[in-house]
Amino acid sequence: MKLLIIEDEEGLRESIEDYFSEAGVICETAKDFPTALSKVSLYRYDCIVLDITLPGGNGLHILREIKEKNHSDGILIISARNSLDDRLKGLDMGADDYLVKPFHLSELRARVTAIIRRKTYNGSNVLKFNEIAVDLLAKEVSVKDQKVKLTPKEYALLLYFISNKGKVISKNAIAEHLWGDGIDMANNFDFIYSHIKNVRKKLTEAGCKDYIHAAYGMGYRFSD
Amino acid sequence: MKLTSKYNRTTLLIAVIVIITAGIAYYLSISYILTDQVSHLLTGEEKEIFEYVQANQELPEVYDSDVQRIVLTPVGEHHITRRYTDTPFFNKKENSYESGRALISSIRVKGQNYKIQILESRVETDDLIEAIFSITIGMILALIFVLYVTNRVVLRRLWRPFYNILAKIHLFNLRDALEIEIVPTEIDEFRQLNEAVSAMSLKVKNDYENLKAFTDNAAHELFTPIAIINSKLDTLIQQTELSEKQGKLVSDIYHTCGRLTRLNKSLLLLVKVENKLVKDEQQINMKEMITGMVDQFDELFRDKNLRVNCQAEDLTLFTSFYLMEILVNNLLTNAIRHNRVGGLINIRLTRNGLMVQNTGGGQALDSEHIFKRFNKSAESEGSGLGLTISQQICQNMGFNLTYKFIPPLHSFNVAFNRA
Repeated sequence: MKLLIIEDEEGLRESIEDYFSEAGVICETAKDFPTALSKVSLYRYDCIVLDITLPGGNGLHILREIKEKNHSDGILIISARNSLDDRLKGLDMGADDYLVKPFHLSELRARVTAIIRRKTYNGSNVLKFNEIAVDLLAKEVSVKDQKVKLTPKEYALLLYFISNKGKVISKNAIAEHLWGDGIDMANNFDFIYSHIKNVRKKLTEAGCKDYIHAAYGMGYRFSD
Repeated sequence: MKLTSKYNRTTLLIAVIVIITAGIAYYLSISYILTDQVSHLLTGEEKEIFEYVQANQELPEVYDSDVQRIVLTPVGEHHITRRYTDTPFFNKKENSYESGRALISSIRVKGQNYKIQILESRVETDDLIEAIFSITIGMILALIFVLYVTNRVVLRRLWRPFYNILAKIHLFNLRDALEIEIVPTEIDEFRQLNEAVSAMSLKVKNDYENLKAFTDNAAHELFTPIAIINSKLDTLIQQTELSEKQGKLVSDIYHTCGRLTRLNKSLLLLVKVENKLVKDEQQINMKEMITGMVDQFDELFRDKNLRVNCQAEDLTLFTSFYLMEILVNNLLTNAIRHNRVGGLINIRLTRNGLMVQNTGGGQALDSEHIFKRFNKSAESEGSGLGLTISQQICQNMGFNLTYKFIPPLHSFNVAFNRA
């Protein structure tokens, strides 16, 4: 998997690169408009994380360049601009998704994974993790060919975990992913715990190994 | 009151006063001159009598006419003072009294004193007064008519550029590209007004553009460092050697970071709403939106063990989807946040409004202060902007947000004010 991160803020660029770098993922970065433009004209990527406000030019020009050349790179816009106009403009021009800063890296990862999954669709839209199989079209989960009934939120939670497998995800990130940022009154995330508990219970009852591990009392990790 | 009618009223009043004053002055002076003339006439008659007596040493024959009468009366040794008097004059022909003027004098003929009374009718003077009165009334009526016509035709035409400018100002909208252009007019005042308004509209538009740019920049500048903190935290927790205590610290930073994000978002949203920058009006199925949101909040209700009572009628509103969602979200969030464990929330959507009630503190809130910025209870984790934003949204949509305390329920009511 090849990823290009176009972001001018060094701190953010490094964090994203760090989070995505693992075996099988090649991360390249560009910190300004000319670098980004030359990279997208020379190489192809599975997904491009694109900041709109860049020194030396507007990120939307890069998007237009890619679309005009008919390249099939997935494009995720990250922007601090949360105006409806900008969002619609980006999506109209052919971006696959639009994420507003600030975001959790796990959220970015889930979105990038979803884009790549859509791009590399090969007839069977089934996502596998060991004995767990997720049918993305039917939104169904099965363990060892045995169906597991999950609520929509539990399904979203499991998918979020699988997209971020091996990573510690904070409770805040989970809450925002499942409930949006309207969830601003919850100091204690006890209700997340009950969701986790339900997913874990349903999966283990179907004969699945328990992959959900609590981490430092502030998050969870989904891993072997 | 229109300027023209105010102006008309004043000019008319002044004109009427001037005309009446002029009429009175005119009458007084004419009357004085005429009286003087009559007196002169009477003196002439008296002189003739004196001359006749001097020449003939006897009284003249006297006769009456329609307008004059001379009466000679013997008075013996009695002395008569010469004087003028206003005396009614009896007109034999008309058989009626008219106003008249008399000269009373005396003469001595053959050792005998005679009183001379010369009477002159003043009916002509009365006619004159009548004429003056009619002319005055006529002039007042004519003046009213002329002013009316002037108002209708001339003033209306004169003021036309003014009303044109006014209409343009009414149509002026910050979000349109339309500017207030200059209407050609010969009148200096209107041209100046037009230029001033035109310049002002340009400036307002400029300021507005600057404000929008500032909002955008502020969002970008503030969100970027927050995004970096957030991403660094996400990276930090991937390290395996974190202790439970460190985890708690990180969790607190996450939490604070989230608050900062929401506070900044709320501030920017408030600026956006106050400046009416959100335009995505569409048909909204309110029932669907509210029941959807209640489902979304399900875990939060259960977390506090709240009983939720939701009644929604079918209703479609044409307004901003984005803002409506924020409004409903804010009201529900408030109802949860300020509720007690095991409390109650009533949500009622009717054709006339949306009501959200919740149990909570036993005291009524100060309805004057709760809608102000950063007014919040000490224990609240909110931004202190939720109700301010809600009220501003309602204002933009032409709705009315009010608070009432009906023990034990705190009740927020949005009146849709639909025509």
